[in-house]
Amino acid sequence: MTLRLANGGALDEILLDVEGQALAARSGESLAAALTAAGIHSFRDTKGGGSRGLFCGMGVCHDCLVRVDETDNRRACMTKVTGQHAVRRQTFPGRLPAHSDSLAPITIADLAVRKPDVLVIGGGAGGLSAAIAAAEAGAGVVLLDERAQSGGQYYKQPAEGRPRDAVADAQVDEGQRLVARARRAGVEILCNAEAWGAFAPMTIGATTPQGSLVFQPRRLIVAAGAYERGLPVPGWTLPGVMTTGAAQTLLKTDGVLAGRRILICGNGPLNLQIALELARAGATVVAVAELAEAVGVRQAGTVLRMLRHAPRLAWQGARMTVALRRRGIPVLSGRGLVRVEPYDGALRATLGRRAHRTLSPERDIVVDVVLMGYGFMPSNELLLALGCRHDFDATRGHLVTARNAQCETSVTGVYGVGDCCGLGGAKAACEEGWIAGADAARALGRSLPPAVTHEVAAARARLAQHRDFQAALWQLFAAPRWNTELAQPDTLICRCEEVPLGAIEAAMADGTPDIGEIKRRTRLGMGRCQGRYCAPLLASLLAERRGRPIDAHAFFAPRAPAKPVAIKDLVRAASAPPP
Amino acid sequence: MTADHRLPLPKDIGTVIIGGGIVGMCLAWFLAEEGAEVAVLDDGRHAGTIANAGGLHVQMQSRFMRLYPEMVPGFEQTLPFYPRAVEHWRRIAVRLDEDIELAVTGGLMVAESREQYDFLAAKCRRERQLGLEVDMLDRSALERVAPYLGPTIVGAELCPTEGKINPLLANQAVRRQALALGVVHRTETRVTGLVRSAAGFAIDTTAGSILAGRVVIAAGAGAGALSALLGRPMPVRAEPLHMNITEATQPFIKHMVQHADRQITLKQLAAGQVVIGGGWPATLVGPDAHPTVEIESLIGSLSLAQHVVPQIGALRLIRTWAGVNTSVDGRPVVGDVAGIPGLFFAIPGDAGYTLGPLTARLVADAMLGRAPEMSITDYSADRFG
Repeated sequence: MTLRLANGGALDEILLDVEGQALAARSGESLAAALTAAGIHSFRDTKGGGSRGLFCGMGVCHDCLVRVDETDNRRACMTKVTGQHAVRRQTFPGRLPAHSDSLAPITIADLAVRKPDVLVIGGGAGGLSAAIAAAEAGAGVVLLDERAQSGGQYYKQPAEGRPRDAVADAQVDEGQRLVARARRAGVEILCNAEAWGAFAPMTIGATTPQGSLVFQPRRLIVAAGAYERGLPVPGWTLPGVMTTGAAQTLLKTDGVLAGRRILICGNGPLNLQIALELARAGATVVAVAELAEAVGVRQAGTVLRMLRHAPRLAWQGARMTVALRRRGIPVLSGRGLVRVEPYDGALRATLGRRAHRTLSPERDIVVDVVLMGYGFMPSNELLLALGCRHDFDATRGHLVTARNAQCETSVTGVYGVGDCCGLGGAKAACEEGWIAGADAARALGRSLPPAVTHEVAAARARLAQHRDFQAALWQLFAAPRWNTELAQPDTLICRCEEVPLGAIEAAMADGTPDIGEIKRRTRLGMGRCQGRYCAPLLASLLAERRGRPIDAHAFFAPRAPAKPVAIKDLVRAASAPPP
Repeated sequence: MTADHRLPLPKDIGTVIIGGGIVGMCLAWFLAEEGAEVAVLDDGRHAGTIANAGGLHVQMQSRFMRLYPEMVPGFEQTLPFYPRAVEHWRRIAVRLDEDIELAVTGGLMVAESREQYDFLAAKCRRERQLGLEVDMLDRSALERVAPYLGPTIVGAELCPTEGKINPLLANQAVRRQALALGVVHRTETRVTGLVRSAAGFAIDTTAGSILAGRVVIAAGAGAGALSALLGRPMPVRAEPLHMNITEATQPFIKHMVQHADRQITLKQLAAGQVVIGGGWPATLVGPDAHPTVEIESLIGSLSLAQHVVPQIGALRLIRTWAGVNTSVDGRPVVGDVAGIPGLFFAIPGDAGYTLGPLTARLVADAMLGRAPEMSITDYSADRFG
């Protein structure tokens, strides 16, 4: 059985040279997809002697670094196949790149400053609708998307060059329609553009294919989305253990199965959806371990609420459960992943039954791939850097951006939309985008065309329903929100700097200092992912030990860059700034 | 042994050191070694403790000479402190329980024009007169010792006793020495009141009050406000500065690199990250005066870094932060104070991290009634009246 789907598109004549072996690949797919399709999960060696492969699949974790054509430290998940690349396994810290042409010194004054009416950051559900609303109301809108194609994580779009008619998927189609409408409305979409820094009151630095740009928009809409949260268990850094989102991107964007035998562990309906998508595409999904207990009679009221608020979604959910059962994929309620170990070229995963603050091991399953999906964390770095007020939501376990009914933050003129302000799902993000985009245009003196006014009114009504539906949904999937409870002393909490739980305990032994001091003592959070996975875990652990509630200061201070960015890209002025 | 913010402060202790940066922690260690009871109080948010860049400076920094020409006599007077300060780092490094990645691999101040080269040559001559070990290197000599430099560099001043250190490792290792000797290290504790009475010093803090026989102000840029509490205002300037650090790569930059005429300092840590600064400004924001980075400094400093060392362009920027440099009048403020018995200052001049252990040693000796190894009489706080 091949891991490439029939609808992945024809393989080009491209042959990658992977460790001296020829490997067929398709132009436009990610290197991670090409390697995964060949059954390669282990991409590199770490400083501590471990191996790593694809984990987040969305450019955040920096675990999938490989040497591409003599350049080390390229993210396989974000690097597209464009030719006959030589791909090599690399060790820490990687070789120095051969780059040697220095650019003449510049100052900020040499960078082009763009001052659009509205700048939207993020090309997912929320960013696209915000951009459409503002642009259809006549505002000049620029949208920055760090990816090669807009659509974000919900409307995952097929890789360029892949036959689109091969991908029959309502979610993909809907995303495609939004992108097309944004372009028609005159939104200037800059793809492969990284908004790396935000500086008060409203300056955004971005590296783009045009060069390094400075944006000082009149209104700013941040729709940066979310990333999957980590739940450290022994073996969670092993190659072949990845997020459910990574497997979905491989499948939807590149038409590649993450593995043949797959175990899915975590919490929430997305895991069920991906289980079904993977099974339909030909993978053997051995089980879905769902931390929440099975839906019982007591949840009947909740189910009714869901039916009332979003009957279509509720029925979709019910049909999904039936479909899983029909395919013989067991959903193991009240179960979670205890540990993963290498096993004869594959992985042996131990599942456990929920107990007090832990899991009691129940059985082992041998698979090639383990997917973890324990929910998401908001990408709120830019909003925090701008000084927008945030409050900690204990039930959702993350910071929530304070916003008014128009989705404007505590900083005048700065709007926050969608999951980056607190997890609410793509549907809610889309509605919030309409509201924020229209309000930004109105604040700039534009009058809203009837179509937009109508859309905003409808969005408000739907938003209330989405939020009720989400609340009810998460009641059904209610589960303990663990942080480091399942880790052993030698389990890595910080994946990048390889800091185990034991080292953190040692750093807290002579008093319990604040998060910054623990960072300085252990190097936790100092790596390429910039603390995205470990900082929330440590913040919770510290709050518990110090007996203090979590607030915005419980996390690392927000500092540029929001994502690691190549220095040559930061200091390359745009040769011809657009008029 | 405790640093727990939740434990009560001791009510009464022999010596309180205000400021837990490299100076305060070294001083606590040196005093505790001699049997003193010491508590270190630190505001613990954005002091030098957490923001050091780890350069060991010896030659006069052209940046300070340009910024404060009136202070050049002060810089020249204190020049002998620097080689000795590096020697002190070497001395304490062998006493610590962990490798602090001390590397005395030399420092280069580079020139890109004849004029800059001549400026450095004059500076080099003057420094040699003052006893410093420095040399001028032309382009061909540079290509042998520093092949990583960009094509526009025409020459450099080399100071072989300059170097670098991993400040994260050094700070923790020094702290462990102090704690092992019974030093109380109390973080997140800000001093709000400081009064001299017959019994000693009454100190109010955000964590309660404490009585101390002696007080050392080792609070860097915070020293001005503290000395004002005792009626001795001092012109202390807080200089918030921008710093950058890249992802790790293989070692390729041996020296600490500075520029004759441009604001750039860079060095590569043993673990492979390149630390880039050079005195680009940051700002103090909000009621807590939180040091915050500016886009102008980020772009300006990184642009210069890849201009001087081209391969830096290929590295990713991972983090920026803002540290606070303390500037008084180009000279340290160390030792006791006329009229306030029991009060001591321990504030290095510029390049405070380099001077940390030496400053602590000089103050410790003064407090222990020993003759310091260098005369500190010119550096008393009494000069501020």
